[in-house]
Amino acid sequence: MPLWFARGLRRGIVTTHYPARPDPSAACLPTPPAFRTGMIDRQLAGELVAAGPSQALHRDGDVLVFDVSRCTACGRCQEVAPLAVTPSGEFELAGTSQAAFVKKIGLVLEAGQ
Amino acid sequence: MSAAADGEAALAERLRQRVASQFGRSLHIRTLDTGSCAVCEQEIRLLSAPHYDLHRLGFFLTPAPRHADLLMVTGPMIRAFDVAARKTYEAMPGPKLVVATGACALGGVYPADAFVHGTVGEILPVDVWIPGCPPSPLALLQGLLVAVDRLAEKVSGLSFTADGADS
Amino acid sequence: MTALGWLAVAAAGWGLAVLAALAGGGRPGALRLCCALSALGGAAAIAGGVSALVWGNGRVITIGPAEVAGSLQLQATSLAGVFAALLGLVAVAIALYVPRYHEPGPGTALYLAVYNLALVASVAVLAAGGVVTFLVAWESMALLCYLLILRHPRREAVAAGAFWFLALSETGFVLIIAAFVILATKTHTMELSVIVARMHLVSPAWRDTAYLLALAGFGFKAGLVPLHVWLPEAHPVAPADGSAFLSGLITKLGVYGMVLFSFRLLPAQPAWTGLITMAAGALTAAIGILYAMNERDLKRFLAYSTIENIGIIVTALGAALIFGAYHQPALAAFLLLAGLYHVANHGTYKTLLFLEAGVIEHTTGTRDMDRLGGLIHRLPRTAVISLVGTLGIAALPPLNGFVSEWLIFQGLFQGFRTGSHLLGILIVTAAATLGLTGGLAIYAFVRGYGIPFLGMPRTRPAAAATERGQPVTGPALLAVACAALAVGAPVVLLVLCRAMRTVTGVALRPVLLPGNLTVLPAHTDFSAFSPTWLAVFLVAVTAVPLLIYLAGRPRADSVTVPVWDGGMVVFRPRMQYSAMTFSAPTRVTFDALYRPAVSVRRASDDPAGRSGPVHYDSQVTPLFLRYLYRPVIRAVEWLADVIRPLQSGDVSLYLFYIFLMILLAYLLGAL
Repeated sequence: MPLWFARGLRRGIVTTHYPARPDPSAACLPTPPAFRTGMIDRQLAGELVAAGPSQALHRDGDVLVFDVSRCTACGRCQEVAPLAVTPSGEFELAGTSQAAFVKKIGLVLEAGQ
Repeated sequence: MSAAADGEAALAERLRQRVASQFGRSLHIRTLDTGSCAVCEQEIRLLSAPHYDLHRLGFFLTPAPRHADLLMVTGPMIRAFDVAARKTYEAMPGPKLVVATGACALGGVYPADAFVHGTVGEILPVDVWIPGCPPSPLALLQGLLVAVDRLAEKVSGLSFTADGADS
Repeated sequence: MTALGWLAVAAAGWGLAVLAALAGGGRPGALRLCCALSALGGAAAIAGGVSALVWGNGRVITIGPAEVAGSLQLQATSLAGVFAALLGLVAVAIALYVPRYHEPGPGTALYLAVYNLALVASVAVLAAGGVVTFLVAWESMALLCYLLILRHPRREAVAAGAFWFLALSETGFVLIIAAFVILATKTHTMELSVIVARMHLVSPAWRDTAYLLALAGFGFKAGLVPLHVWLPEAHPVAPADGSAFLSGLITKLGVYGMVLFSFRLLPAQPAWTGLITMAAGALTAAIGILYAMNERDLKRFLAYSTIENIGIIVTALGAALIFGAYHQPALAAFLLLAGLYHVANHGTYKTLLFLEAGVIEHTTGTRDMDRLGGLIHRLPRTAVISLVGTLGIAALPPLNGFVSEWLIFQGLFQGFRTGSHLLGILIVTAAATLGLTGGLAIYAFVRGYGIPFLGMPRTRPAAAATERGQPVTGPALLAVACAALAVGAPVVLLVLCRAMRTVTGVALRPVLLPGNLTVLPAHTDFSAFSPTWLAVFLVAVTAVPLLIYLAGRPRADSVTVPVWDGGMVVFRPRMQYSAMTFSAPTRVTFDALYRPAVSVRRASDDPAGRSGPVHYDSQVTPLFLRYLYRPVIRAVEWLADVIRPLQSGDVSLYLFYIFLMILLAYLLGAL
């Protein structure tokens, strides 16, 4: 008798256990990109900067500056370079200062630069 | 006066912890739309739904700024809304927190021009920034919990590089 | 001095005021003298009314040969006491109001002369002891009021309003004459007290006919539905003190006529006449307030509210008649007392509200509620006094409207004491209708006070209004009277009990005022309430927490911040409620009564929505005017057209008519 009761309770509870346990739906969320540092050179960086619609990427010398706070997870940079850019899977992105969002990714230098 | 500055910083930190502990289990949130596309609002509304259930964490949505502890701001802060946003913030009794939500509020999507400030930080003192377009309800929950010190901030430790290499 | 003596002094005072006005030729000093005399007359009238209430009916004074129909017969009766006292109070208040309201000049002098003559005519109506005196006084009063309305004959709608007043007043007069003639011919006397003594000579059929004729005839003057259409046309177009006089007093003379017939001349009526009266009263009350909700013109709104209150009074009278027919003399006397109390109360606060509407009209130049707003800051004394009047008329405790309406409700709730199930249900239905009216009255008066006085001014004239030079004493006196009638309710009720003893022979005092300032509704086991203690309690309940707050409020730690207004950047007056939007829910609910005709005109038909200015017009269908009066008027016009050929203007035809008449008379005489 208590079996169907417990089973019903278990099936009936729809509320997520987050933050105590991870939520399974998090795997399907669109997330900001992660970049392979060894595969992005200046030219690719230029293309990636041009692809993003919300000013999240810009090139500063030999560094690709990625401001996570501006990323909309649209996926266009991944379309441009699917091998170099993959979804990061990170969605817990809250930060207490704007500086925490600015990530620098080193560009691959071509021989002789 | 490094010692004095340190003392002040320590005091500020203790105050912040005290505020966070007061709010940690009972927080009233007032949402403010400063010109967003309303998708962030839909995600915020989902927080009250059974799947994410804000109330189990002790958080409540309230329309009255006088009852609110935390102001959740979406939208790129259009210039026409300046005064209203400041009035809403000033109508909240202290201590109060401000959480900027969504890429628009954090400066993305709309650069500053004649009609928008571009970022909420120009008008209001923001405590926690939550990126996303829109931030999923899980991200919003994480942001709120960071604001009240129930979860640690994670993003400063992330590098967004696939091979783990630091920059 | 006897009551009649006091009333004679009052009439003399007003007569002297007429002379002062006419002789003075419009000089300010003469007008002030006229007003002073008018006020003295008013004070004498109050004394006369109160002494008539307390000391009972006086002797009948006959001036001229008693057998001649044209002799003057006067008697001060208890029944007229309330009305005479009200007349005096209204006269005093208006006399204090006039000097600062009217511009000195020959027009004003003439107007004041007519007004004081109208006062004399009114007191003659109240003191009339004979049929002819009554009728002559009544007609003079009506004609003088007609002249009163025509103060500014060239202004818009004045002539039409005055004509409506006169036409329906005369129609009612014909019915009143008929009613009196029936009684006078059946009892072979013109003296009212002798008619009372000889009522057994009148058969029940004639008695009921006379009553119905009197109900209709006096109903025209009082403003019973459907005989009320002149009231919203005539009362707003008179000058403010004239409107106050008309609404505050003249409609009550209609009530006096009804009371005269029901409770003095025609005792022992059957229940169905009372039922008709009560139904008419309840209908009047509901329809009055429903139409009041839709008025933007402040004075039209107050005029409809007068209709509503007359309805309440007549409902009480009708129920009193029913109780009288069903062997409940105490309840009948009680409801008559409650009705008379409401007469006094309504006269007081309606006069007050009309006088203040006049002040508003003078300071802002408009009567339209939608052009006013924020007057509480610009006209503070007017606002406070109007608030007292509004609380009174909305029947909110602790003011006088609440006391009299409580009494009426308590009387109606005891409908079960008639013993008849049907009548019990009908009486309670009337009580429910009055309950609806009471709720709507609060709604209407929140609108009637809130839209003009509160919020922001909607137009520049409203923002520029100032109270300097406006009359304050008259309305303030009435406000004090409202409070006095409420807090001093036990005294008022004592006096009215004495009057009821004279009028109905019922000793109400033991079952009305057993002591300790408590009031019972004619039965010891039904309910009880103390107006005086209620007033004290309400004041204490408000004052004590306020005092505690003031004494203990935090000083150092508090910050004063602006009120949270939704983050509005600029608050424009057009964002406020307008008078019509505030009452829109009633138009939706009572759509069947209002049948609004809505017209929407756009400048162009741009599908994208940029159609330019949109003109929206919603008109309430005037049901009675369109479906009752216009057909009657058209029928009369048709009849006149049919008869017109008789009046061809041809002299020879007229001579032929004369010849025919002589022939006819000769033949009839010969037969």
